[in-house]
Amino acid sequence: MNCHDCPQSCRLKPHPQRRRFFGLLPGKSSKQSLAVAHKKVALVGPPNVGKSLIFNLLTKTYVTVSNYPGTTVEVAQGNANVAGEILTFCDTPGMYSLIPITEEERVARDLVLSQKVDLVIHVVDAKNLDRMLNLTLQLIEAKLPVLLVVNMMDEARQLGLRIDEHQLAYQLGIPVVLMSAVQKIGLRKLIAEVADRVQPPLLSTSY
Amino acid sequence: MSNLLFYPPLIESAIARIEALIRDRFDSTLSPRSLALLLLQNDPETRSQLQGEPYFPEIEAIIRETQANFTESLSFAIAESRHNLALAIAQEVTVAPQHPKAVKYEWLHHLTVHPLTGIPLLLLILYFGIYQFVGVFGGGTLVDSIEGFFEAQINPQVDILVAAIIPWPILQDLFAHDYGIITLGLRYAIAIVLPIVTTFFLMFSCLEDSGYLPRLSLLVDRIFKTMGLSGRSIIPLILGLGCGTMATLVTRTLESKRERVIATLLLALTVPCSAQLGVILALLSQEPVALFVWTIVMLAIFVGIGFLAGKAIPGESTCFYMEIPPLRIPRPQAILTKTYVRLKWYFGEVLPLFILASVLIWIGKITGLFGILIKGLEPIVTALGLPKAAAPTFLYGFFRRDYGAAGMFDLHDSGILSSQQLVVAAVTLTLFMPCIAQLQFMFKERGIKTTIAIASFVILFAFSLGYGLNQLLTIMELSL
Repeated sequence: MNCHDCPQSCRLKPHPQRRRFFGLLPGKSSKQSLAVAHKKVALVGPPNVGKSLIFNLLTKTYVTVSNYPGTTVEVAQGNANVAGEILTFCDTPGMYSLIPITEEERVARDLVLSQKVDLVIHVVDAKNLDRMLNLTLQLIEAKLPVLLVVNMMDEARQLGLRIDEHQLAYQLGIPVVLMSAVQKIGLRKLIAEVADRVQPPLLSTSY
Repeated sequence: MSNLLFYPPLIESAIARIEALIRDRFDSTLSPRSLALLLLQNDPETRSQLQGEPYFPEIEAIIRETQANFTESLSFAIAESRHNLALAIAQEVTVAPQHPKAVKYEWLHHLTVHPLTGIPLLLLILYFGIYQFVGVFGGGTLVDSIEGFFEAQINPQVDILVAAIIPWPILQDLFAHDYGIITLGLRYAIAIVLPIVTTFFLMFSCLEDSGYLPRLSLLVDRIFKTMGLSGRSIIPLILGLGCGTMATLVTRTLESKRERVIATLLLALTVPCSAQLGVILALLSQEPVALFVWTIVMLAIFVGIGFLAGKAIPGESTCFYMEIPPLRIPRPQAILTKTYVRLKWYFGEVLPLFILASVLIWIGKITGLFGILIKGLEPIVTALGLPKAAAPTFLYGFFRRDYGAAGMFDLHDSGILSSQQLVVAAVTLTLFMPCIAQLQFMFKERGIKTTIAIASFVILFAFSLGYGLNQLLTIMELSL
């Protein structure tokens, strides 16, 4: 199924046909979003880093979250009120790179590349930062507005890893939020950063 | 920002030249630099977007020229620069302990992936998780009590109530009696399917959240290679034990088209869904030999057909690469939410279809169409050595697998199936066409041609194998 054909696609369609999937329950809000075009925020990143969990926290809906790569195979969307403005969040299947290998990666790439996305939240696993920053660099190169979420900080700390978020933000030139989504740590900071980025007229594509 | 990441000078100059060509002439959400890089990496999507542009040959010439200066592929050179920078940044911002702490549950990880310990562990999980919990507890204990309650309390009441409200017997049949919406449709859904599916999803959610599934992929990778699949495909296939419809959708996570087709075929033919599995396990658990025969036959068909499909469908087998997440203790709250959401979804799908089935059967009976179809099926059913009364079960089975399985449950309860017949019916029904919903998804994911090919093969194969199995069991005079 092409991304734009799926009912959860972020692209606004005149005839929203809702078909429900295992775990892919479009939130109550997804209907409203079809009336007005809200600003779009896409959650992207490698498989199994917690995009769906963060999506659930942000939109207060539920899409299936599991501990294996490839749980999410379609784009899900839900709305949330961030600092007085309603934003449409899109949860995407995992992708490693802008050049897709599998079908689900294509779905994610299509969302990011072929539509105008107002903010890209790139979620990565704190334990494997070196492998995961590749995609961040590609997104920055593409001049997309990127926010980096370093998730699973709890597990990284257990391994004795420490990450300097300010240094990371400085090196990449984009905002960075450290999170432990399971414990809801870092959620408020993330929401604040999202609000900062999408707030008009501060939205800019380069930092 | 473009000062951040520099590629080798030759690539940089190629980027600059391509950028100059497309800047202001090609509209994209991506920066020209990023587009140029994608082109240099031979990204098929970007290429097809730019194919029609008059300056495309010029771009191709630049790519060829640049490639000529490199021994490795351009994609590799680009990825390498990027990776080096990512590594440098990661190292600069991360403070790692000098003696890395051991990964939690490291020993358990080794237990799950080493064949010597992994296979017994898998068998234990299958025995306790699927057989005991889903089959015996869900499909046996729970189904029996809810089903008994329905038969003893609800159905007679409904019959009386409907008779009191509706004077016409024909219309009464729509809601009550043997095939009514409430007495059959709702009963199947609530008494037979619900307990089984609930127990399965509970167990499956635990497996999912623990991180066991990717380790299982590692374990089975070698066996799966002989079938033209990679270990990755175990996830859709195991998911198929829950619901084949959803599993068909998840085949998207597989890398090659070939793998997706093989997995779809195996899902349609050999993998029983949870409702079916639960009913079959519950029925056959009373007769261990029958259960043994069913298991062996299904496993043999799974491996055999997988192997043949791997040979018959052209293409290379893909290289297996999968992120192995850490083992985690599942959080009860997450498990319950997930099971609840899945059940809600499942019932949203199943209930209308069950009700529709009751209505269709009702219409079929009034018009006589049902009788004709059953008459047509009877010779086939007789050829399988089954009683004629099994024909309607196959008809339902086509509609929904779990509906057919639930019908088999009824059939066995009335005591007209011998053990041999039970095995033959169980094998044939398991192999038989998946439900309408799965078929619909196959069309969507695999296209019309492939789906029709798979569907006709499945129907033909199910009946011929059922026939063969019946003959074989008769010849062997296995007193089951």
